[in-house]
Amino acid sequence: MGLAHLLTQDYLIADSSASETPGKSERARYDLTAKSAHHPAKAKSVIQLFMNGGPSQMDLFDPKPVLNRMDGKPYPGNVEGIGNQSTTDIGVMMGGQYPMHQHGESGLWLADVLPETASLADDLCMVHSMWTDHPNHDNALYKIHSGRLFMGYPTLGSWVVYGLGSENQNLPAYVVLSDPLGLPKNGTRNWTAGFLPPVYQGTPFRPTGSPILNLSKQYSEPPEVTRTARELLRQLDRSHQKERPYQPELDARIQSYELASRMQLAAGEALDINRETKETQELYGIGKQATDSFGRRCLLARRLVERGVRYVQIFLEEQPWDSHVDLASNHRAACERTDQPVAGLLRDLKRSGLLDSTLVIWGGEFGRTPTSQRSGDIYTGRDHNMQAFTSWMAGGGIKGGVSYGTTDDFGHQVTENPVSVHDFHATILHCLGLHHQDLFFDRSGLEERLTGVNPPRVVNELLL
Amino acid sequence: MTPTDESQRIQNRLTKGSFVVASQYVFLLTILLPIQSSLAADRVNNDADSVNESELLVPKPISNRCGKCHGAETRKGDLDLSSLVGIRAGGESGDPLIDQKPLSGRLWQVIQDGEMPPENEAPLDKEEIEQIKSWIQANHARLREALSSEKPKSIHDVLPTLLLRCVSCHGAQRTDGGLDLRTHASIIKGGESGSALVKGQPDESLLIRRVESQACPPGHLLLKFFVRRPSKAEINLLRDWIKAGAPEGNVNPDIASDAPDPLVSESDRQHWAYQPPQKTTRYQSIDNFIEQQLHEINQTFSPRAERDTLIRRVYMNLLGLPPSLDQWLHWHDHPSPDWYSMMVDDVLASPHYGERWGRYWLDLAGYADSEGGISADPIRPVAWKYRDYVVRSFNQDKPYDQFLIEQLAGDELTDHANVQELQPEMIDHLIATGFLRMGIDETGSRTMNFVPERLKVISDTISIVSSGLMGLTMECARCHTHKYDPIPQRDYYRFKAIFQGALDEHDWKSFKQRKLSIGLDKDRKAIAATNPPLAKQRNQLLQQAKQQQDNLTMVTLRSHYPAQSEADQSATLVALKVADNQRTLPQRLLVEKLQRAQAIPDSEQISAVLEARLNLEKIEDQIQRVDRQMVPPLTIRALWDNGRPSPTYILKRGEHDKPGRLVGPGVPSVLTDGETPFSYSPPFPDGTAKTGRRLAFAQWLTSPQHPTTARVMVNRIWFHHFGQGLVSTLENFGVMGQKPTHPELLDWLAISFVENGWSIKTMHRLILNSRTYQQSSRVTPQAKKGDPQNKYYSRMPLRRLDAESIRDSLLFVSDQLDTTQGGLPDPVSVSSEGEVSIKPTDTSKWRRSLYAQYRRTEIPTMLDTFDYPQMGPNCLERSVSNVSPQSLLMLNNRQVRELAASLAHRVQSLLSEKTGKADDPTKNQHPEDQYNLLIDLTYQITLSRSPTLQEKTLGRETLKHLRNRLSGNLSLALESYCHAIMNSASFLYVD
Repeated sequence: MGLAHLLTQDYLIADSSASETPGKSERARYDLTAKSAHHPAKAKSVIQLFMNGGPSQMDLFDPKPVLNRMDGKPYPGNVEGIGNQSTTDIGVMMGGQYPMHQHGESGLWLADVLPETASLADDLCMVHSMWTDHPNHDNALYKIHSGRLFMGYPTLGSWVVYGLGSENQNLPAYVVLSDPLGLPKNGTRNWTAGFLPPVYQGTPFRPTGSPILNLSKQYSEPPEVTRTARELLRQLDRSHQKERPYQPELDARIQSYELASRMQLAAGEALDINRETKETQELYGIGKQATDSFGRRCLLARRLVERGVRYVQIFLEEQPWDSHVDLASNHRAACERTDQPVAGLLRDLKRSGLLDSTLVIWGGEFGRTPTSQRSGDIYTGRDHNMQAFTSWMAGGGIKGGVSYGTTDDFGHQVTENPVSVHDFHATILHCLGLHHQDLFFDRSGLEERLTGVNPPRVVNELLL
Repeated sequence: MTPTDESQRIQNRLTKGSFVVASQYVFLLTILLPIQSSLAADRVNNDADSVNESELLVPKPISNRCGKCHGAETRKGDLDLSSLVGIRAGGESGDPLIDQKPLSGRLWQVIQDGEMPPENEAPLDKEEIEQIKSWIQANHARLREALSSEKPKSIHDVLPTLLLRCVSCHGAQRTDGGLDLRTHASIIKGGESGSALVKGQPDESLLIRRVESQACPPGHLLLKFFVRRPSKAEINLLRDWIKAGAPEGNVNPDIASDAPDPLVSESDRQHWAYQPPQKTTRYQSIDNFIEQQLHEINQTFSPRAERDTLIRRVYMNLLGLPPSLDQWLHWHDHPSPDWYSMMVDDVLASPHYGERWGRYWLDLAGYADSEGGISADPIRPVAWKYRDYVVRSFNQDKPYDQFLIEQLAGDELTDHANVQELQPEMIDHLIATGFLRMGIDETGSRTMNFVPERLKVISDTISIVSSGLMGLTMECARCHTHKYDPIPQRDYYRFKAIFQGALDEHDWKSFKQRKLSIGLDKDRKAIAATNPPLAKQRNQLLQQAKQQQDNLTMVTLRSHYPAQSEADQSATLVALKVADNQRTLPQRLLVEKLQRAQAIPDSEQISAVLEARLNLEKIEDQIQRVDRQMVPPLTIRALWDNGRPSPTYILKRGEHDKPGRLVGPGVPSVLTDGETPFSYSPPFPDGTAKTGRRLAFAQWLTSPQHPTTARVMVNRIWFHHFGQGLVSTLENFGVMGQKPTHPELLDWLAISFVENGWSIKTMHRLILNSRTYQQSSRVTPQAKKGDPQNKYYSRMPLRRLDAESIRDSLLFVSDQLDTTQGGLPDPVSVSSEGEVSIKPTDTSKWRRSLYAQYRRTEIPTMLDTFDYPQMGPNCLERSVSNVSPQSLLMLNNRQVRELAASLAHRVQSLLSEKTGKADDPTKNQHPEDQYNLLIDLTYQITLSRSPTLQEKTLGRETLKHLRNRLSGNLSLALESYCHAIMNSASFLYVD
């Protein structure tokens, strides 16, 4: 990499002289410049719509007539194998809570509580055969985001920007849009870089005020005073640098101060949704009470990927899908908040052609049990189910109108074409042009991979 | 040679327990007689027993070509293909070599896929491949039969299952029904309901009946004791064992013996780091070694750095703080020609030294004030005692060998339960064992205390010890033999057995139970005298805090939803006390409504809300103040041996329910001569039961001849002085690690370290007084050309301050640093925007960053931004990034700005002190001169030097300009000026 090019980038080095140290250089410098993929790919960026808490597959996407018929009867199998072992109040079979219909030419099933998403059935690729390894939120969240059951491992987004960098150096490569109402379960660990260098961690854009921490002054001072002081700083640093030739880090430092001010402009511009037409805003449900908040985040996500941001993650506060009680009303509320914004996002991406290069992922950390769960004297919710759940994908090299994998008559276990979290990750990486085996990080002599030691399966059946 | 001769020859060899393949076919010692299933050690010793009727022949290509690495003597991957016994035992992966279909087993698969022979060996030719294939096909049925006729032969075939599924209730911690299932004798003896089994009759055996009827383990206790039911295969194994007469067998654990090691060869030990450091007489100083290599590349030392540069360098390097104004003046004007070495001695004696160098150690140990692993991220209330122990040890210059022994085996140094009178250092030894308890530990959680989670805690500890202290990466060997380094999986589990007395996954203590309460009488008395009234006060404050919290909620609701009914408001309070996923829909809606109101920015909240919030914070601060007034509890977060370790088994692929053979404690074979058993004995034969395993390990690790201990540590010390190690991979001295740039120097330093009584401060003196260290950091064109990466130390590197040094220096120069040492960590607060800040102490100043609470989920933003590490499980080398959020923080953050204001204030007061004196000639001077003095002071305080002429001119012009823009307000102008200096590269970098 030429020096001139270097000067325009944020970069990171392991020590002041290591930038050219042979043998160490592979791990010595980490930056966010765009990297070439391992193979040609359709997807350039990802929008992950994360549905915290575990949406119910049998109520939303994976209809189970047998379950409906047996509503209220005891579960015929071994109840010990059901749900989360920590909550032993296993109730009776509980049929789907909403009417379901087939949609589009593909005939995908969706519940009537998702009317907008349903109208785009032919763009969706439903994976009904997802499964994971742990029935607790914490661990299942670590798993779905980082491929491991424990904290401290890099998330999918971190791996993606580690592998591909970003197309826009004035914005963070990996942006997190979390709910103004609060952080999701597990908080900032949903976007940690783990043992990868901190440049690869997700940057949360705050919903109100300044989008990035410290992006604007937290004290007041007349602008011309700030300008004067900045000019002093610039001159001091220039002469400091001049006295110390051959120290590229000092050049980069000066650049990072300049980038800081560019970022102030770029972030402000990217986040200004008033630049969108009223029609576009309405498409996302902005202005309507139920959908305004999620709609804004979806629209921001589009504006960010449009500007070259590689990975955008959208969260809901805490875990609205986690319906141990009152599933029918809780899920309805969660659908009302998200259905129109999600469909708006897909339509908007589609009409601008961005959907071809943007992979949209919808799903949570696990699914829900076919049986109800006792809460007091009522049986109105479902427990966690790690053995089967549904996620969907759209765009970015994924086939539309596909229903993949099957579950048993109750939606309890996967019966055909299981997709593990590692398989899911490997498939997403594949869409982005990354090969899971070639994407590794040398950690104390150990090659760490998102998808672990045993090779996963890229689910080719889902690819265009 | 005729076949008859050949067979005779082989027969002869067999009697010696080993053989070499030299001919087309080998007669096989075979296995139609049941033999030990899992015991490779025995299969070497017992070969003679198995020689008998059957004559399955292993073809030459397998025995000869494969057998080169996978034979009885050299058993790569723990696989012996020279005999059917070995083929049945399989390798460490646990994959069947011969499977259901003739060509589906791993033996054929690796050949077919070309995976074997490995790249550096000649491939098999067509004929050889054909020979193997037809042998497998022809003998498949017989092989299968031979391989599957295995019967359990010993207690160790079933004990892993009993440990996993039964001993929680029938073992060390509980003996429900009077039954203990940990030994053969106690199983036979049984409990209140009689023997657990009837030999030869599984159906009649209580054990089988209870398990098969699922009466055991009882469903309602599965989660309480973190047990899962045995699998069908496990039950069948139990059945088979009982059917076979429940044999105890005579199985000895696999430990190092005085026979040559079949898994690690002499040539494996030849790697430089596995050989003890070599003494050299060629040179006797650092500079000689460095200069000689510089000479070889036609380079020379850079000139000595200027005095001010050296002063700042030594202070920042040893203390993480710049010199005070007085200290700087003292050394700046010091008349002695030996001023430099005097300064080094002086700085090394500072109590701040331990805070700086102790921090490096805490990174290595993975120090944290919380357990991690689960969302709640529980606080470790007394982890700080270990932090203080480390700081103390560095300040005392505790010999490194002793330092290690205390941390690895402090509990085995004194019989604390039986000692006449406790001494403070005995307590310190227990605190020291906190080193082994720093990894993430979720086992205190309600749902995360199963064996796999416990194994993860153990593996974190092993990883910290091996990479941090021995320069070995052993993690890979948890699942399979290390790919590059000669660390067989066996050695990982032998190593694990060293810790089994204290970290036993089948006799586990969660972090909640793993604490000791041991203290001196005077501490006990102090607690009794001081704490009770404070505890009462604390409880009252907690009550107040709860009320205030409710009050804040109500005020918030009333201000934003004046129309909301009182009933709904009280219902909100109730809803908040229900776990989030247990709330009913109406409760959920109420809480969301509240959250929406809370999310509104402060600027739009009414004053009553802000006031209530402030009141709540005040009460919380008061609670924390009371906490700090209390005498610390006697609780120690220690690790101690229980003297009753479970057997240790190799876990195939690292999976907790795939046990392999039994191993005993031992150290990595490659770091030994391979022929010396690991010996240990209980340290208190007449006192408390302890295995003595860790003590023996610690003594082995600190023996003067140890190949890596001293090297790893001196390399680490070197790294923290020069920003690069002589071995650049600090944590990996193995085959995949980097070779030392100056091997002779590394060994010379390691030997000096040991000879000087493992004194770390002596190493600092040696290094800091060298010419190498005192060089200028300027890069000349020649040096750039001849030594571009400074591999040869033709100059000192320019280095950015690390996270703590930046924050501590900012506080120090602005006179906002509270230098109180030790004790409870300083709490942090998290703003609604997610910014984590460290709270000030009662002095309204802040302590050093070392004392900030390190909660894994609440890392202070300022430190995080400058690469403060995430401990996973520890950090052996921090990365240094250069990214714009750092600039944004330094320029825009409120606290940094306030520190700039404090600095400006300090500079002005110093000046007025000076000008206040009547005889001071600066009095009533021209503003220009006043600016000059302000600039001088600012530079001297922040950068430990005077400004250059150019910097002075620039400063004057800027101050004038700023002051004009600020209606003549000099204080504000100076604040802005100081803020720029704090942002400058001169401040953030050290030459």
